[in-house]
Amino acid sequence: VSAHTEVQAVNPARAATQPTRVARRRRRPIAKYILNTVAVATALFWIFPIYWMLLVAVRPVTDIYSQHPSFSPFTNFTWINFSEVLHDPAFWQALRNSLIVVSAAVFIATFVGFLAAVALARFSFKFKRIMIVMIMIVQMVPLLAVMVPLYIIYTKVGLSESLQGLVVAYLALTLPFTIWTLRGFIAGVPQELEEAAMVDGCSRFKAFFHVILPLVVPGLISTAVFVLIQTWNEFQLTNFMINDQDHHTLALYLNFFLGGNKEIPYGEVMATAFLMSLPVVVLFMLVQRQIASGLTAGAVKG
Amino acid sequence: VTTPGTAAPPAALSDPVRRRRSKGGGGGLATRGRSVPYLLVAPAILIIVGVLGYPMVEMLWLSFQNYSKQNPFSTQKSVTFGGLSNYTTVLGNSEFWTVLERTVIITVLMVGLTVAIGMLIALMMQRISTWARYLITFSLILVWSVPTLVSTIVFQWMFDQDFGVVNILLGQVGHDWFGTNVSGFGVIIFLVVWGAVPMVALMFYAGLTQVPKELVEAARVDGANPWQTFRSVVFPIIRPVVLIMTALSIFWDFQVFTQIWVMRGGQPNQDYFTLGIWAYNEGYSSFDFGTASTLTTITVLLLLFVTVPYLRQLIRIGDAK
Repeated sequence: VSAHTEVQAVNPARAATQPTRVARRRRRPIAKYILNTVAVATALFWIFPIYWMLLVAVRPVTDIYSQHPSFSPFTNFTWINFSEVLHDPAFWQALRNSLIVVSAAVFIATFVGFLAAVALARFSFKFKRIMIVMIMIVQMVPLLAVMVPLYIIYTKVGLSESLQGLVVAYLALTLPFTIWTLRGFIAGVPQELEEAAMVDGCSRFKAFFHVILPLVVPGLISTAVFVLIQTWNEFQLTNFMINDQDHHTLALYLNFFLGGNKEIPYGEVMATAFLMSLPVVVLFMLVQRQIASGLTAGAVKG
Repeated sequence: VTTPGTAAPPAALSDPVRRRRSKGGGGGLATRGRSVPYLLVAPAILIIVGVLGYPMVEMLWLSFQNYSKQNPFSTQKSVTFGGLSNYTTVLGNSEFWTVLERTVIITVLMVGLTVAIGMLIALMMQRISTWARYLITFSLILVWSVPTLVSTIVFQWMFDQDFGVVNILLGQVGHDWFGTNVSGFGVIIFLVVWGAVPMVALMFYAGLTQVPKELVEAARVDGANPWQTFRSVVFPIIRPVVLIMTALSIFWDFQVFTQIWVMRGGQPNQDYFTLGIWAYNEGYSSFDFGTASTLTTITVLLLLFVTVPYLRQLIRIGDAK
């Protein structure tokens, strides 16, 4: 957009011959000023609920239940809500459960997904086409569809209320996506790179390890992070599967605050919400950037 | 280009590689190489069939079972085969049609607002200064990354009857947003759209940057007004992105769960039932797995119906690679 305005600016002769163009040029800075203002307002509007979460998290309870709330974070600033949460053994239990379940799901989904993605991107075999279509259809299956059957199957095989069962369910949630995305990343590496390595005397296996794998690592990382985010945040399925408080994940721990007839300690709720969001927000921002940088572009440049 | 048959080229591409490989390594390796892809996909197939395929068949089977509602703790014993009776009961229930209508209406509103606002923000992002674009990109990505459960809880507090900041700012403390399900769904739609716009807007913006500037300029020189330029020049180019994002939004919003479930404190009453919430509730609270499965089957069929265009688009992309 800015390049475009510059082009017009250095071409005054053309602009002068067109009265409408002159008018547009004069109007543009004002229009841009207005649009910038609207953009800032939009950004603030969108970010406000998150700001509000942080604000409530650092407020004493008397200020939270007030009809004249301050909009500054420094009014009666306190860490009390965070310290309450961090001194709750149930929080650490939930964090531990989340870490166990999420890391297991991330590791298995990425590993198994990667193997399948290699087959789909680099080999030709009999049922490839059927598999691709199957994965795409399965990706479209709503969570809702497998929830009740899984619950019943788990009751039969003794996996109900277990973290292992949760990991298996999370695989159903993430594996199709993982295969699909990784396949894209691998297919994005030019086949010629691999062929060149093999012409130079590498075995197919070696060519794969030394040529493709390093190029796919960013893709592997971002896929793993997406799986991590999705499983870390998962609520619908987990809520259906797990009742036992000892097996609560962070999401269930957070939701547990809202149940019952007691007054909800919103300061602690928002502190927990912040603690739960922080890792995924940071990881998400990192991955955003990684995806933006072209993967094969770096390979061709060397 | 659109026919599924075009998947052949990638397959043909990998063949010379294998031939070359077998020349160098001897015949034994070539035969061993043939089983490699099957070994690679085996674990994935096993898991997908086990946790997705089999449960889906089980769900279909369950939808033909009658679960007695009287004793939720001994569900296993009171199951009888009911044929299509669950379907006739559900489809004959006027409540079903109310819920279906409600689900469709809120989906249309959510998707329509998300796509429209997303497009407006994307178009705005194209026309603002770089610093402003950074600011809005940052806030959109931030919102995109916050867990749905977290944002739902924040919105619940913001719309609190007595201490919610929304009521305080509007000067109407005490107003119950969930007094009627119309204003209640208003809040829920607001929440869903707020959470869904960032991804849509950023995808649209990425699409807009692909539109050649010369084309837009040419249209303007030819005397097209901004709306005509958008409709005839810009939109045809970003159409695929718009289609995919719309289909995905329909898919997600039709089965929106956390925002309604948590906003209503984990026990939504009938006025807040959508198809998905109803099915979940039948399984979660009533332990009526038969009705839950029936409702789910109907939901899945409806979803497949609207997402077929998306599937076709995906197949097209898959073939292009």
